[in-house]
Amino acid sequence: MKSAIFNLLSRVNGNKISLDVEDELQFHVEMLERKYMQEGMRAADAQAAALRRFGNFQRVKKQCVEITRRSTLLRRFLKTSLILLGIAGLLISIGSSDYKVDRIGHVLIMIAITGRLLVYVRGLSPFTYLAGVKATSITDTSKNSSNLRKA
Amino acid sequence: MQGTLELLILNTLARESMHGYGIVQRIHEAAEDLLKVEDGSLYPALYRMEERGWIKSEWGVSENNRRAKFYKLTRTGQKQLEAQRANWNRISKAVARILQAT
Repeated sequence: MKSAIFNLLSRVNGNKISLDVEDELQFHVEMLERKYMQEGMRAADAQAAALRRFGNFQRVKKQCVEITRRSTLLRRFLKTSLILLGIAGLLISIGSSDYKVDRIGHVLIMIAITGRLLVYVRGLSPFTYLAGVKATSITDTSKNSSNLRKA
Repeated sequence: MQGTLELLILNTLARESMHGYGIVQRIHEAAEDLLKVEDGSLYPALYRMEERGWIKSEWGVSENNRRAKFYKLTRTGQKQLEAQRANWNRISKAVARILQAT
């Protein structure tokens, strides 16, 4: 039952991601069409020119959806892990009479709380932090930087 | 060149928040058509940059009253821009020196 609800929610969420990405890309194509029509092109020509200039719409959409899904999944995993860590810490702290074990519980709670704060504050996710550390390098992991070409 | 598209996007967003179409238009205008960016290639780069926390997006209404996604630079993105700009200057100086020397 739980997994069925989870699957349903994932599908709804997945569809929303896909629709949002499509809407965003479609907006771009529409703006291009508008521009070409203002420059004097006929509607059909403007549409063709817009799609040509945009590139492979479906491929771009797929890439964007994948990145969003990956990001969402990682974030969910991270949040769940931190919650579990916090609960584990709490249980250890409450259940243990040994001071040393009790301290481990407190450390786990602190890690969980700090982690959750970092996830909540935008721009301070662990991934961002790692990216910031590597800020001195100009290397781009983008597969599409080759699309930047000299005219 | 690697990282160039990201640098151009960060630099464009440093002035104001913009939707993807606006970013590409601004790059084309600034480069006076010396550089051409395939419009679609911008989006995976934008999504990756958002994933890294350099930019953030929110839905708004465009100049023609249509739903559009606007991007803006985060504090981390600003730092990234400064770092990438410095790196770019260093690299271009180095290449220029090598070309002059040979």
